[in-house]
Amino acid sequence: MNRLIGISSLLPAMLGVGLFVCIGVFSLMALLRYSDVAEWSSFLSQPYLWRLIRFSLWQALLSSLLSLVIAVPVASCLFHRSFWGRSFLLQLFSVSMVVPSIVAILGIVVVYGRTGWLAQISGIELPLYGLTGILLAHVFFNMPLAVRLLLQVYALIPTGQWRQAYQLGFDRWSAFRFIEWSYLRKALPGAFVLIFMLCFSSFAVVLSLGGGPKSSTLEVAIYQALRFDFDLNKASFLALLQVLICTVIALFVYKLAPVNHQDSSLLAQSRFSIRDSYGAKALDVIAFLCVLVFVLPPFIAILDPMFSTQFLQTLSSLRLWQAVLVSLKIAFPAAFISLLLGLSFCVLARYCMGRGKLDIWSTKLEQLGNLILMVPGLVIATGLFLWLRDLGLSFSSSYWIVVWVNAVMALPFVLRCMMPCFYQQERRFRHLYSSLGLQAWSRCKIEWPLVRSSVAQAFAFALLLSLGDMGVIALFGSQGMVSLPLYLFQLIGAYRLEEGACVAVVLILLCLGLYVLFSRIVGGRWHAQG
Amino acid sequence: MKTLSFRTYSSIALATFTLSFSALSSAAQTLNVYTYDSFASDWGPGPKIKENFEKLCDCEVNFVALDSSVGILSRVQLEGKSSSADVLLGLDLNLMEAAKKTGLLAEHGVDTSVVNLEGGWSDKDFVPFDHGHFAFIYNAETLENPPKSLADIVENQELKVIYQDPRTSTPGLGLLLWMKSVYGEKAASAWSTLASHTVTVTKGWSDAYGLFLKGEADLVLSYTTSPAYHIEAEGETKYQAVETTEGRYPQVEVAAMMKSAPNKVLAERFMSFILTHDFQSTIATGNWMLPVVDLDQPLPEAFAAAMKPVTSLMLPADQVAEERKAWVNEWLNATTE
Repeated sequence: MNRLIGISSLLPAMLGVGLFVCIGVFSLMALLRYSDVAEWSSFLSQPYLWRLIRFSLWQALLSSLLSLVIAVPVASCLFHRSFWGRSFLLQLFSVSMVVPSIVAILGIVVVYGRTGWLAQISGIELPLYGLTGILLAHVFFNMPLAVRLLLQVYALIPTGQWRQAYQLGFDRWSAFRFIEWSYLRKALPGAFVLIFMLCFSSFAVVLSLGGGPKSSTLEVAIYQALRFDFDLNKASFLALLQVLICTVIALFVYKLAPVNHQDSSLLAQSRFSIRDSYGAKALDVIAFLCVLVFVLPPFIAILDPMFSTQFLQTLSSLRLWQAVLVSLKIAFPAAFISLLLGLSFCVLARYCMGRGKLDIWSTKLEQLGNLILMVPGLVIATGLFLWLRDLGLSFSSSYWIVVWVNAVMALPFVLRCMMPCFYQQERRFRHLYSSLGLQAWSRCKIEWPLVRSSVAQAFAFALLLSLGDMGVIALFGSQGMVSLPLYLFQLIGAYRLEEGACVAVVLILLCLGLYVLFSRIVGGRWHAQG
Repeated sequence: MKTLSFRTYSSIALATFTLSFSALSSAAQTLNVYTYDSFASDWGPGPKIKENFEKLCDCEVNFVALDSSVGILSRVQLEGKSSSADVLLGLDLNLMEAAKKTGLLAEHGVDTSVVNLEGGWSDKDFVPFDHGHFAFIYNAETLENPPKSLADIVENQELKVIYQDPRTSTPGLGLLLWMKSVYGEKAASAWSTLASHTVTVTKGWSDAYGLFLKGEADLVLSYTTSPAYHIEAEGETKYQAVETTEGRYPQVEVAAMMKSAPNKVLAERFMSFILTHDFQSTIATGNWMLPVVDLDQPLPEAFAAAMKPVTSLMLPADQVAEERKAWVNEWLNATTE
């Protein structure tokens, strides 16, 4: 009986996951209906396709490895040291992943370009266009993301272990080897897969900084098939190919990944400082220099127009505020839906956790949520639109398509934010809850203070991602639906680069503001530490 | 009795009022025009055109702003026959065949004899609304010896060039055809020569022009009218178009109406409106392109360079449609070897 109640309380969560799966499957099916499988083998015989796949894989591998290699010491440094500007830096890190690619690219060019800061200061001219440029941009986008993910892992290390390390007089290196590494190495494969997917399907960056068709990605081919040729057949083939490649890689990485058995003793962290040493100081300085080189300068370049006279003029334009409003109208429902979906996944996954045969479903669910990263937003949106068109619903629905696609695209990030925390609560309190017969709402009320920071952060991430979205809105834009990124592109398209740069600043400041609002105020001050 | 009749009258009056009001509101119909974003934006020609047309038609013009001219086409292909678009404004020469093939377009029936393009205009599905030529733009302050021909641009290894990907952008496709019409069979080797001093190939015009303005290249593929923007809007004369002795490849932007247009009558009126002064006079300093009919007033001085007579190199539309894929592959192979 008790067990039945348990399952029935899972119904909303099942509904959420079911909705996600059904809509995904239906939109892919809608696309497949227009495809001609017989022709597919001829696509495979194009040598360019294979060159493209090779390059996509290679740059994604390098980008994700580089991001992680830098992120590990940076995360360790940020965890152990507190310094002025640290929390601002962390907030900047969260924003870096949503900067529209064209803005980031121009920022990177201002720093590393032919007449850029680096060339002016040191006379060194980087061969920016090619692999270097792609890697610089991808590290700019993803290293901060990796740092944030790793800092969450740090938050899972029980205080007891730090206390012990302190008592034993560990230096930073031993602490890293004996404590941090055993947690990190379980989280790194997941982070790797996430960043790998993002880089594998990277598109605007690769095209702008790649130097030419030599360095191109599968995503370009998909974009071209869909937007230029409206070849639904080819687009669905390429999308499936991309899903296939990513799935194989993800399965391979997950296969190698150790399972993260979290300790359940953590409540709230208190700090124990680990013995400092010159070596540790030197390493931290190096880690910090990496941040100073990879992330900060492009940011400063992007924010620089804030001090121009144009900035005030831009702020006084009504169009700008309309665009802000439209962006918020898309981002808030998208983030809310994403959060609901994420909660459904979390609740189901942790229910399955440690229940015999059901156990493997907890990781499967997480992987299911990540699957969406492998399909380009454009493909999902097109499929969804075709499906709704067949149902005769397409016109009124374009707003909701934009919202929905943004919501599902943010899901992997939402899951990354919430899952570790939810798992932990489950481990710690499952037996207590079941012995007390606590279910559903009563459990929610008890857990809210413990999970609120991760929920708030997930919401903030989803919000930021939808705010910066350019791909889906571009497909369905209309007069009444010019979002901030679209407005930015309008300006650039009309030669108004400077005004566009100012709008980019507004977008980034808005992101920062909302991030602080949600991660600090909704999430509570406690979280702002990590 | 009297009160009753008063009531009757008033209710009749009310009914008439409501009816006439609803009749009025249905008379004030909406014309949906799908266009690209910078056309519909505040500083583009869109708002002025909307105002001018609404004066004539007792209707409301609703611009649906999409991200590019390709975006317009893929949007209506996506929506199919149930599209709410009446008019598509902003396709270009090289998209015409693809657009025709969709079977979604209706003949416009507009008299295009006033069109002042080289060779006139005879297409039954499309009405041209502006034109220009593709051109490489350079900064005269930093580039002392600008090239004089397309061959110079291709061969001079000192020059750093940025252009757009023909798979994702219309200027990029324009260059592909330009190269093809100049080099013909030898296009592949010309591409690989150009590739050795190409800085980068971008997704669209915006990325390319942005990189150029940041000083990343000597030359960028844009339009002959781009310098006019810098002169008119910024008072900046240093950006100039390379004179290409071989001739230039034209870009003609066109409009078409949908077979399934919910508002056919208005769409037809709008199509003929395109060639009138009220539309054409907004083009030069709104869309930074040239009008397709002769206007009473000359264009601003800044357009002088763009107005110079040039040989228009133009490949037949059906050949472009047929061989585009092969030419793109040729470009891909030549530039990735």
